[in-house]
Amino acid sequence: MTTVIPFGPQHPVLPEPVSLKLEIDNDVVVGALPSLGYVHRGLEKFIDTKDYNQTTYICERICGICSALHGITYTKAVEKLFDAEIPERAEYIRVIVGELNRLHSHLLWLGLFADGFGFESLFYECWKYREEVLDVAERITGNRVIHSISKVGGVSRDLTKENIDMLLKMCDSLEPKIKDIEKVFVNNYTVKQRLVGLATMSKQLAYEAGTAGPTLRGSGNAIDVRETADWDIYKDLGFKTAVAKEGDCYGRTKVRIDELYESIKLIRNAISKLPNGDIATPIKGFPTGEAIMRTEQPRGEVVYYVKGNGTKNLERLKVRTPTFANIPSLLLMLPGVRLADVPIVVLTIDPCISCTER
Amino acid sequence: MMGMLNLVLTNISRKPATRLYPFEIREPFKEFKGRIVFDPGNCILCGICQKKCPPDAITVTKADKMWEINLFRCIMCTECVVGCPKDCLSISNERVKTGAKETVKVVVPIVDKPKAPKAASK
Ligand code: SF4
Ligand code: SF4
Repeated sequence: MTTVIPFGPQHPVLPEPVSLKLEIDNDVVVGALPSLGYVHRGLEKFIDTKDYNQTTYICERICGICSALHGITYTKAVEKLFDAEIPERAEYIRVIVGELNRLHSHLLWLGLFADGFGFESLFYECWKYREEVLDVAERITGNRVIHSISKVGGVSRDLTKENIDMLLKMCDSLEPKIKDIEKVFVNNYTVKQRLVGLATMSKQLAYEAGTAGPTLRGSGNAIDVRETADWDIYKDLGFKTAVAKEGDCYGRTKVRIDELYESIKLIRNAISKLPNGDIATPIKGFPTGEAIMRTEQPRGEVVYYVKGNGTKNLERLKVRTPTFANIPSLLLMLPGVRLADVPIVVLTIDPCISCTER
Repeated sequence: MMGMLNLVLTNISRKPATRLYPFEIREPFKEFKGRIVFDPGNCILCGICQKKCPPDAITVTKADKMWEINLFRCIMCTECVVGCPKDCLSISNERVKTGAKETVKVVVPIVDKPKAPKAASK
């Protein structure tokens, strides 16, 4: 006989409200039913009252953790409507801020995850390192969480010599620290006991379920929008997709740790190739037509669809966020998992509910 | 296992990573966008800053010569700073204090009445 128990919307491991109705047999999950809608804010409709420049700031507020990449993706989508040529320097600055965003998001996730399986000191360790990244981001962009760096036509702040030194110093100091925590996440006996073999998804299943981001790559699919989509700059920077074959919680953790190194490498390469020149081009007129832009956020691929109708307001803005794509895979992962492991499995897709519900 | 033990043991001998807020407050970085500062000297009450502001934090009332900002609404996007034709607005790295007065009203002293630029009427 099965019992249905609610998981969330308020749960210690969940920073945001999502509710799962878990059908359990003894203490093994046999089915799960999600219900969403607790933090719906109607942001896609809200843009009706703002012009396309102001919408950038709304998009950044879709999510607090990946805010810079929301802003960047939106502005790039609108630039497509204008067919605008963006200065190279601006694109490089976008990449740098985007990767800082990924660094702090992954460190945040690693910390939360460690907390999820009860490793408190590891949690504090990760968050301590995250502070360094946030401080640098604050000094580069002026804002700590919502960076507001990207605007339609370029970026709003230039990188100074001082900023660049600071970034390089941060990269140098962060790398050995990540190595330290990597050892714990990858080799520690207790951690492995909790993670290895938990909620395994095969390569095929992860692909067919339409998962995105580290959840997809943790199952051995080398698919990263930074490599495949139409933002070429990552190819010039020598980006390589991080993959793990395991397909379980352990594999997904490994992918995220590898991506930390990858982000540091991208920041270093972007700084070494940083071209001189303008940081923004003026954009005149009102957008017409439709455009789609995809970028890789810390949680996976985000898709922005914008439609302009020749007025200052956009006619339609549609955002497909990575967590929205990952929730179905969560429902596939959960059956067979024991109730005590459900929090870890939920965390392993790095759910961002505010993104999903907008 | 040793890796974590080393980390924990070194952490014991280190000073805490956090500060004893509110007794110890970190100075804001000089690059930090803290608040908008308005210098009424050159303002022509054109209202561009009001139109550019995404959260409608600025209100310009021409009749009363009043320029008003709601600091709690302001999201520090600096659109107004870039947009102002007379460079009246600037960014300061000072934080808006909790419990500070929400709105700042400034009466703009327009001495000789300059004509508002055409762009303002759009
Ligand atoms: S844009 Fe500048 S000049 Fe115009 S009202 Fe605002 S502060 Fe005054
Ligand atoms: S910084 Fe942005 S939000 Fe603040 S007053 Fe200026 S335009 Fe408005």
